[in-house]
Amino acid sequence: MTLTATRPTIYAGLVRLLERDHELGVIRSALAAASRGEGGGVAVSGEPGAGKSTLIGAAATDPVGLRVVRGGCDPLRTPRPLGPFLDTASELDIELLAGDEALTTVCEKVYDALRATPTLLVVEDLHWVDAASVEVLRFLTHRSGSLPLALVVSYRDHEIGPRHPARALLGDLARDDGFTTLALDPLSIGAVEQLVAGTALAADQVHQVTGGNPFFVAEVVKDPDRPLPASVRDAVLARAADLDDADLDVLQLVAAAPDRLVDRVLPALGVDLPTLRRLQETGLLDRARGGLVFRHELARQAVETTVPAGGSADLHARLLAAMERVGMDEPAVLTHHAVAAHDRERAFRYARAAADDAVRAAAHTEAAAFLETALDHLVTDDPRERAELTLELAFQLYMTSRLREAIDHVESTMTLWESADDAAGLAAAHEMVAVFEYYNARAEQARSHADHASDLARSAAPEDLVFGSAQATRGYLAYRRGEYDRALQWNDDASRVAVRMGDDQLTLRSRFLHAASDLAKGSGDARAQLADWIEAARSLDLDELASTGYSNLVSLDVEQRRFRAAENVLGESLPFTVEKDIPICRHWQTGVRSRLHFSQGHWSAALEDAGAVLIDDGMPLAMVWPLLVSALVPLRRGEAGPELALDEAADLAARIGEPMMRIPVHTARVESAWTTGDPDPHVGEGTPDVLASYDGDPALSWAVGDLVVWLRRLGLPTPVPDPERLPEPYRLSLSGRHDEAAAWWHRTGDPFAEAMAWGDSEDPAHRSRGVELLDRLGAVGTADRRRAELRRDGIATAPAKPRASTRANPGGLTNRQLDVARLVARGFTNAEIAERLYISPKTTDHHVSAVLMKLGLGNRRQVVVRADELGLA
Amino acid sequence: MKRFIIERNIEGAKDLTHEDLVQIARTSCAAVASLGVPYVWVNSYVAGDKIYCVHEAEDAETIVEHARRGGFPADVVEVVVAEFGPHTATESQVA
Repeated sequence: MTLTATRPTIYAGLVRLLERDHELGVIRSALAAASRGEGGGVAVSGEPGAGKSTLIGAAATDPVGLRVVRGGCDPLRTPRPLGPFLDTASELDIELLAGDEALTTVCEKVYDALRATPTLLVVEDLHWVDAASVEVLRFLTHRSGSLPLALVVSYRDHEIGPRHPARALLGDLARDDGFTTLALDPLSIGAVEQLVAGTALAADQVHQVTGGNPFFVAEVVKDPDRPLPASVRDAVLARAADLDDADLDVLQLVAAAPDRLVDRVLPALGVDLPTLRRLQETGLLDRARGGLVFRHELARQAVETTVPAGGSADLHARLLAAMERVGMDEPAVLTHHAVAAHDRERAFRYARAAADDAVRAAAHTEAAAFLETALDHLVTDDPRERAELTLELAFQLYMTSRLREAIDHVESTMTLWESADDAAGLAAAHEMVAVFEYYNARAEQARSHADHASDLARSAAPEDLVFGSAQATRGYLAYRRGEYDRALQWNDDASRVAVRMGDDQLTLRSRFLHAASDLAKGSGDARAQLADWIEAARSLDLDELASTGYSNLVSLDVEQRRFRAAENVLGESLPFTVEKDIPICRHWQTGVRSRLHFSQGHWSAALEDAGAVLIDDGMPLAMVWPLLVSALVPLRRGEAGPELALDEAADLAARIGEPMMRIPVHTARVESAWTTGDPDPHVGEGTPDVLASYDGDPALSWAVGDLVVWLRRLGLPTPVPDPERLPEPYRLSLSGRHDEAAAWWHRTGDPFAEAMAWGDSEDPAHRSRGVELLDRLGAVGTADRRRAELRRDGIATAPAKPRASTRANPGGLTNRQLDVARLVARGFTNAEIAERLYISPKTTDHHVSAVLMKLGLGNRRQVVVRADELGLA
Repeated sequence: MKRFIIERNIEGAKDLTHEDLVQIARTSCAAVASLGVPYVWVNSYVAGDKIYCVHEAEDAETIVEHARRGGFPADVVEVVVAEFGPHTATESQVA
């Protein structure tokens, strides 16, 4: 006999599994595939009582040699970070300590454990999952192709809204070929007939009352001689009707523990074995996960409703006291009971401890929720204590992309710092708002808070770190606006304070700003310098600083058209933002990658990245290029008008107020007007303004060059100051050397700009070449416009328009296909590609075929040979 | 009541200190007292990575319930069907 607790196979023995043959088959084939080493899985959705657990339990009775590990999520007020993985750690044969592991370490440990042993991993009730567990599950999903893993999850679809942490996982599962989603329907009247056969119950009546809900039907059938209950609640409570008050009290205690009533607290609660035996006769309870649980959540909820008003706090207080007596150390669970018991002191203490665990585990969603609970229950006369706790909460909110709430919380501390008479604290709060407002694309507010922070710090402690830091932030904002002189002047203050205080972080911040503004202005040496400072920051574990350095470096690389260099930086820096958990940089760099893919003609991958930034609308600063990409790709493909996205990008760029963002938005309007032929009043009205912001500033020369070339195409040639100082390809275009401009773009790897340069030429052969290139890019909208020009000019040599069915579409490669295509181009075999990308050989074959089809090539040798022109080298 | 031998796998059991054993004994006694049914903890032996216990109860289910409440493992629970020793050698072979 062993005591390994498994979750109950809920009412499986009592009611046959009906009308689930298809679903059972789907899960079984996932198990069979996993046992062959081809990982994947099934997501089972359905309303409460639809039989999700029963189905999974039935499939798990024959796991074809797989180890079965079952975890679940609990309806706690705030879930335990990594709850399902902490519960199953011993079964997976790994050691996980609550709150002691970085998320990446947890992912690696679970991954290694699953790689070693073929496993069916069940995670039930995702609608109650914590965000950290979702990250682990996503990590596994992305690598499932190369794992002997069948991952089966269950959830109630209508309880997972767009901002629910599980939403992203469900999206991954829906896109992944290795996963199937099953929605469980209610039982048909035929199935109900089979279940009530041999009883006095009328099938149609039972079907009508229960709506075919399998749990409800099963409850009715278990007691066929009772009158038909009107609701699930009545059906459940009928089973408890014969209990005396003392036993009902214990049942209510179990119902008050939404995860489980841990066995160890039974002595402290005075629940003896005869009582348990009587309760088990109701058929409502089971033993699982080291505790007493309800067989079904619907049953728990039904019993919970029998607790009289005001009685629930007492139940929770008794549970809490018993848990404390046996020394239970699960702050998330203790917080749940302390809050429900209206015990302020304990609610604060446990929520604080649970938040610390969550922060250590990088579970920011839960950390924020626990800090909010702690703050709600904090009793103190010290305004500083409240202010500090509020700032912690604000930081965690920022980490989950809830900038608006973060800002509101920091602002709420201002009066607290004032009443504590703490000018340095107040200055630091203003600086924090400045940074968050900047990420929130409210540059004016950011600027005024930064100025205020600096004034306050200057009068409180003029040569102290708070002042130095405020000046560095002010300087950074000025640099972003293109006000380099002011930026450097404020930066000097920061640098002086940094030296005086011997502060590495502030020293590096000031050096960063120096190198970044030199690089923006086109200095060749500045790039190496910036890269050196990033390395220095990394070696000092100044992760956010290093990541900000990458963000600036890579966006300047793309701005100045160093595409290969940008690819290399992103290959290093994007994983770094994920590993170190720096959301603003992850959003920003994903946006930069979107623009990079866009420039390289990888339009589907560009849209994918743009979508990833836009869907999580918490970081407006990062959204300008994603909006432009999502406007311009459909425009060029001839699919849809870009007005909405363009207007949004224009509003956003205006709020941010940085010329380096405003100019490209205006250029996109010009391109749109040219492509569609629809006049856009913004173009005529806005152009003088936009150009007035350019005074020969080398940092803006790329953006201005692009704008001027597009204005020419629209027939609005516009003089600019110092045209000879524009970057080379624009100088070539403006002086009519279109073939040389095209060659420049070809070398750089921007096929659309190349095609446009050919099309600008007078030479009919050049113009045909341009149309051909546009066809190859799938730029149907742009090519139509160019063909119309050729017809207008009486040129008959335009290439025939390709038929849609035969058109190859290299721009249609997704991010994943692009990864595969690059490895094919480097001569890797499918087996090597599978290993590198953590996907199965079968999936790799599938991707390689799709890549060849989209590239319009017959075999992989041609990919190797033509890698350069395809932008895959 | 029946007598049971319980084998509990506890890594490092041999290194448990006297204080540890006092703590475990208190937890065990509290679990016994909470059961509300006849139960006798006779004795326990620590050996290597295991603890062997002799308990008396009506059935194995009660033995398992005691272990749950104490938070102890109970990897093997067997009922004792006979007891014998040196004195058995002097007894008649016919029962």
